[in-house]
Amino acid sequence: MGSMLGDWPSFDPHNFSQLRPTDPSNPSKMTPATYHPTHNRTLPPPDQVITTEAKNILLRNFYERAEEKLRPKRAASENLIPEHGCKQPRASTSC
Amino acid sequence: MFRSSNVVARIFERQVRTPSPGTSVHCARQFYENLFPSCTLYDVECPDHSFRKFTDDGQYLISFSRNHQDLIVYRPKWLSYSCKEEDCDLPSKAKKFDSFFTQLYCVSLASSNEVICKDFFLYVESCQFGLFATSTAQFHDTPAIGGAIQGVPSIERITFHLLRLEDGMILDEKVFRNDFVNLAHNMGVFLYDDLLAIVSLRYQTIHILQIRESGNLVDIRAIGTFCREDDELFLNSSTQCMAIADKSKMHQSSWSHVENSVHNTQPSSDNSFLSGIKQRLLSFIFRGIWNEERHNSMRVQGLKKKFYFHFQDYVDLIIWKVQFLDRHHLLIKFGSVDGGVSRSADHHPSFFAVYNMDTTEIVAFYQNSAEELYLLFEQFCDHFYATSRNSLYMNFISSHSNNIHAFEQLQSIRNKASSFSQFVKKMLASLPFSCQSLSPSPYFDQSLFRFDEKLISAADRHRPSTDHPIKFISRRQPCTLKFKIKPGPEAGSIDCQKRKVSSFLFHPFLPLALSIQQTMFLQPSVNIHFRG
Repeated sequence: MGSMLGDWPSFDPHNFSQLRPTDPSNPSKMTPATYHPTHNRTLPPPDQVITTEAKNILLRNFYERAEEKLRPKRAASENLIPEHGCKQPRASTSC
Repeated sequence: MFRSSNVVARIFERQVRTPSPGTSVHCARQFYENLFPSCTLYDVECPDHSFRKFTDDGQYLISFSRNHQDLIVYRPKWLSYSCKEEDCDLPSKAKKFDSFFTQLYCVSLASSNEVICKDFFLYVESCQFGLFATSTAQFHDTPAIGGAIQGVPSIERITFHLLRLEDGMILDEKVFRNDFVNLAHNMGVFLYDDLLAIVSLRYQTIHILQIRESGNLVDIRAIGTFCREDDELFLNSSTQCMAIADKSKMHQSSWSHVENSVHNTQPSSDNSFLSGIKQRLLSFIFRGIWNEERHNSMRVQGLKKKFYFHFQDYVDLIIWKVQFLDRHHLLIKFGSVDGGVSRSADHHPSFFAVYNMDTTEIVAFYQNSAEELYLLFEQFCDHFYATSRNSLYMNFISSHSNNIHAFEQLQSIRNKASSFSQFVKKMLASLPFSCQSLSPSPYFDQSLFRFDEKLISAADRHRPSTDHPIKFISRRQPCTLKFKIKPGPEAGSIDCQKRKVSSFLFHPFLPLALSIQQTMFLQPSVNIHFRG
């Protein structure tokens, strides 16, 4: 048959019979659209290495709050809001 | 989530559909709604041992002899029989303890004047090692000599035994003499991966040991009097060079040398120095209060009120309990001497400190009423359990941080509490967590089953026993009763006056559980619950 899906079983033998992208006499009109970036602002630095943070999120929180307390304050404040207040802690996943 | 609750339909669906990313264990666990301990063998005749627990990989059942001197290890197995009729009961010859458990060996751990602490057991899953403890009798009112704390009892000899559970061979031992380690329910010892932290209450030292694959217990460090390995050497070598300073002078010098408040340039003479961990703690508190204000005069006022007013209270704090947060960080609970030994220390104020073992710095310090610490506890409870990377299933134990039903229970306790600070103190009293105290059995998964937490839960504690069976009700619609666990004899006990306690041992993944009901002065009655 030469179809992309080969001879895989199907309920109805007429399913997928129209799909023949490997058939050179009937080239598919659908070419996938490709997108090119118009700027390079979001390129990662060339020496970037992505690794897992060694400290777990609980310890990171302890360190962040400790840094805030030990940093000399501009104004005396009772409220200790973490610097990145907009970030929400992510639920821990197994992966 | 499966579309049907029928097990065959679920198996077909499993063939076709992949679970959502990261939920493969949750999907597999749903089969426990179909396979649960539906049959009970009441009052099974079993050897007269005190059964401790199943190991977390389900390979062994740990039990101790009644005289607390021997360790007996069983292998859980599954009975198998076949019958020709359509509806048949288990034959009576199969209704025995031996159908479910094979004895592997019996090892004597304690000598004549020692007993095995039957509440203590830690399992090193990667190597299948077991850690047990034996101790001699406890003495109160022993004099506090050699750096010991007054008010803490003393035990002449505590021995930790490391055994290979496969064959019962004793691999190594660690002995503590004239010391006190809180052994009940693993309170004074914490295992994380291959690191072991043992808290010597009497000498206020945290011993860090490593369990090597060869079976050796290796000392890594001892935190308490000294923080770094070479602190003792440094102090001893500088004794002759400097003059001895008395305590009042030390206070003054800390007043003027406010930037450098760690007193490690003074020589030691007997006990004029505070211990290393205490110094780290005091300097952390000092710097925190110092940084609260901008101007020196305000800083001094703040120090007077918050630091020096309570100075003696801070100095008198002792280490109560310790747990690992990861390989480098410890969570240490400090409190007064009175509350250190007693189990119900709720009325005593206590403090928590996060300590980095490598940099020997205190990272955080909170009182037990601190809302900030409670918020971290509420959001990241799972990280306080410090599960090692090796045991994956430990990540799936229901807690209020990973399970909506457990979280709702926590909120209802919060709403019923008389004041928020009382609630915070009550919740934080469970920190630091004891090691390996929760059963990984999927029957305690709050998203699968609902059960009465007062009667049964994943924590291995004795509970008051009732004659009514404990119901496990499915969480998902329709919320039907799935199975019941009834401790004690089938017909209920004859004497309802006597107080009974029950304990439950659930196999980590098989639908197999033991319920042990103990009445005073009578032999305990053991029921086996299994899927028939």
